[in-house]
Amino acid sequence: MNGSKLKRLHRAALRSVSFLVLLALWEIASRFDLIRPFLLPPLASVLARLASDLVSGAFALNAGLTLYRTLAGFALASLVGIPLGILISRHRLVGWFVEPIVSVGFPMPTIAFLPIFMLWFGVFDLSKIVMTAFSAVFTVIAAADGGTRGVERPLVWSAESLGARHGDVFLEVMLPAAMPQILTGLQVALPLALIVEVASEMLMGGAGLGGMMVQAASYADSAGVYAGIVETAAVGAVAVALMARLRRRVLRWHPEAAR
Amino acid sequence: MNVAPARPAEEAGIVIEHLSHTYAPEAGTGVLALDDVSLTVERGSFHALLGPSGCGKSTLLFCIGGFLPLQAGRIRTARGPVSGPGPERGVVFQNFALFPWKTVRENVLYGIGKRGIRGAAAREIAQHFIDLVHLTGFEGSFPSQLSGGMQQRAALARTLAAEPDILLMDEPFGALDAQTRRIMQEELLAIWRQTEKTVVFVTHDVAEAVYLADAISVMSARPGRIRETVAAGFNRDPDPAVVRRPAFTDLVELLWELVKSEVEACRPALASVA
Amino acid sequence: MPSGFGERRVRGIFVRYAPLLIIALVWEAVTRLGLVSGTLLPPFSTVLLSFVTLLRDGTLVPNALASLMRGAAGLALAIAGGSALGAGMALSPRVDTAVGPLVQAFYPLPKTALVPLVMVWFGLGDMAKIVLIFLGCLLPVILGTYNGLRGVDRVLAWSARSLGASRREVVREVLFPAAMPQILTGLRTATAFAFLLMVASELIIANNGLGYLIGSLGDNGAYPAMFASILTVTALGFLADRGFAAISRRLLRWRA
Repeated sequence: MNGSKLKRLHRAALRSVSFLVLLALWEIASRFDLIRPFLLPPLASVLARLASDLVSGAFALNAGLTLYRTLAGFALASLVGIPLGILISRHRLVGWFVEPIVSVGFPMPTIAFLPIFMLWFGVFDLSKIVMTAFSAVFTVIAAADGGTRGVERPLVWSAESLGARHGDVFLEVMLPAAMPQILTGLQVALPLALIVEVASEMLMGGAGLGGMMVQAASYADSAGVYAGIVETAAVGAVAVALMARLRRRVLRWHPEAAR
Repeated sequence: MNVAPARPAEEAGIVIEHLSHTYAPEAGTGVLALDDVSLTVERGSFHALLGPSGCGKSTLLFCIGGFLPLQAGRIRTARGPVSGPGPERGVVFQNFALFPWKTVRENVLYGIGKRGIRGAAAREIAQHFIDLVHLTGFEGSFPSQLSGGMQQRAALARTLAAEPDILLMDEPFGALDAQTRRIMQEELLAIWRQTEKTVVFVTHDVAEAVYLADAISVMSARPGRIRETVAAGFNRDPDPAVVRRPAFTDLVELLWELVKSEVEACRPALASVA
Repeated sequence: MPSGFGERRVRGIFVRYAPLLIIALVWEAVTRLGLVSGTLLPPFSTVLLSFVTLLRDGTLVPNALASLMRGAAGLALAIAGGSALGAGMALSPRVDTAVGPLVQAFYPLPKTALVPLVMVWFGLGDMAKIVLIFLGCLLPVILGTYNGLRGVDRVLAWSARSLGASRREVVREVLFPAAMPQILTGLRTATAFAFLLMVASELIIANNGLGYLIGSLGDNGAYPAMFASILTVTALGFLADRGFAAISRRLLRWRA
């Protein structure tokens, strides 16, 4: 067993080489003034900025706000989108009506609607949350629709011939069977929500990672901009990890969990 | 019951000496798929590899095909040692492996083109093989438009069009329904008699092996070894009633007992229930 | 006389998108009847009129062209760079170890977070927006190419080799065609991202383009024109996606 552990460490070390090389290049570039400090501030200053953000609670505030708004919008999109998507696959009339809307909304640059939401809901949390939800909902609807549509008929028939009633069949058979695809849709929707949330914050300003970065750029505070990127990436990583966790939990029974 | 004696590669079609193969050695615990396998396949003969799933018969085939790196032992054909894939060893896979974006004709033309033949001459050769496998009229179809049996014929035509000396077949009829399988077996025999190629045929179906082969090697389960090689030769008999002859059914029973003991060796829990 | 098939096609499209027409009618009714304030939601007919005005007075087309050219440039660069990177990672373990971790680290970062950074590097011009779109579209292309190539069943490559193809020929003649479905899906996602980042960058770095137009019209209270611009960019995004889907269908017509 020692051999395989060593091999795993070896591989992990190999994979971090690229980062170390990049960081080394960064240091060299700023030390030897190869790039203007405005474009590429010294690594130390960015790290110092990260540290001070952590200590002062600025990171917690900004990241917390961004994450809160993202999750709120995402939750809204899920609560609306999943039932709607399921409804589409089950009722032909609803499906006929909603399908072109989803088909237009899916590739749409939903961020273009931001000024409308600002007009309707003001410039505080509500408009950002609605904007985020609006962006994510089409992905969720499509996934829920596809997932329930794709449930194999033998599964449903088996349940019915074992005596399950209509409502039971839906809750106990169709929904779990559709879960993998629904969760995949959610996993795509959450990063999308975060992208739109950050853009909304940049446009509207105020507290939050987006607003903080735009402010740093306007003050020519490039260390702040770089630190903001790292902090936003951290929030993004947390979001991705959360979804992966959720998926593993909900799909414990699925063959993919056995891998 | 006799074992074919070893002969130099010039006479024999394929000579395998002390071949071993381990899968994924870098993960720490490798799986020994083949353990010191030695085998001689007579040139022009139809040789079956029979055994339960996972016993390494496909691995052996892939080694002969040159797809797996040579780790220990040697494989030689009349053209020399095997070091990689080559058109003299054609392969037919269980899931057909047709290029789905090419039509039947384009698939068949692929190997022909690699031999440097193009244009009208190439198309003529392709048509000959498409006709040989009874796919005339479907030259312009995509694989997705064909049934399983037809796809397998197309795969066979593609392989034959490259004019290999040796035909390596990995459970080629495993994905087909029983009726199509029977038809394909008869057609394969007809083509083999016509083209006189050396065939190595992997299967887990005992009756299929006895029906098709000159010689049958039974392989043991993990790790893969040749347990016994027996002579068959019922394929020389054009009478379809050959499958009902006592000699035929006796051989099937014999081989089935051998294979069954290998299957049970893999699954001790189930054997105790039986 | 047009063939029955052509007529059926047109009727099919009409039936499919009729709900949008219904929504437009409801929109018109709801605003005309005063159920919703006319400032918050201008009537659909007013929006249509502003659209025509924007077209006529030369505001819409130059901005739209500027946006589309930047979007296309960024997307083209991302396709070129991303497919090369994705292919390199899929085919060479060394490239995978070198570049893979960086790509993976890049993955959770919301690409709009790069807007201030490109502003710092490139100021407020075209370059900043093109670089942003390039960086944002890179990942879907890389992933599509990488997953597509890796997902090719090995027996396809083996068949080609045993039919006499060299390793290089296998990559060109087998791996890439087999990976096409997934590569095209990645490209389709990248196109949608291109539109998203195009609009976002123009809303934030507002000097020209459709995003700028939307923002400035909104700031000036010209809401009907703002709605018209939003619908325009929506329609463009939709048409681009449809166009892409049609191209995909053509390229992949061998599929079941």
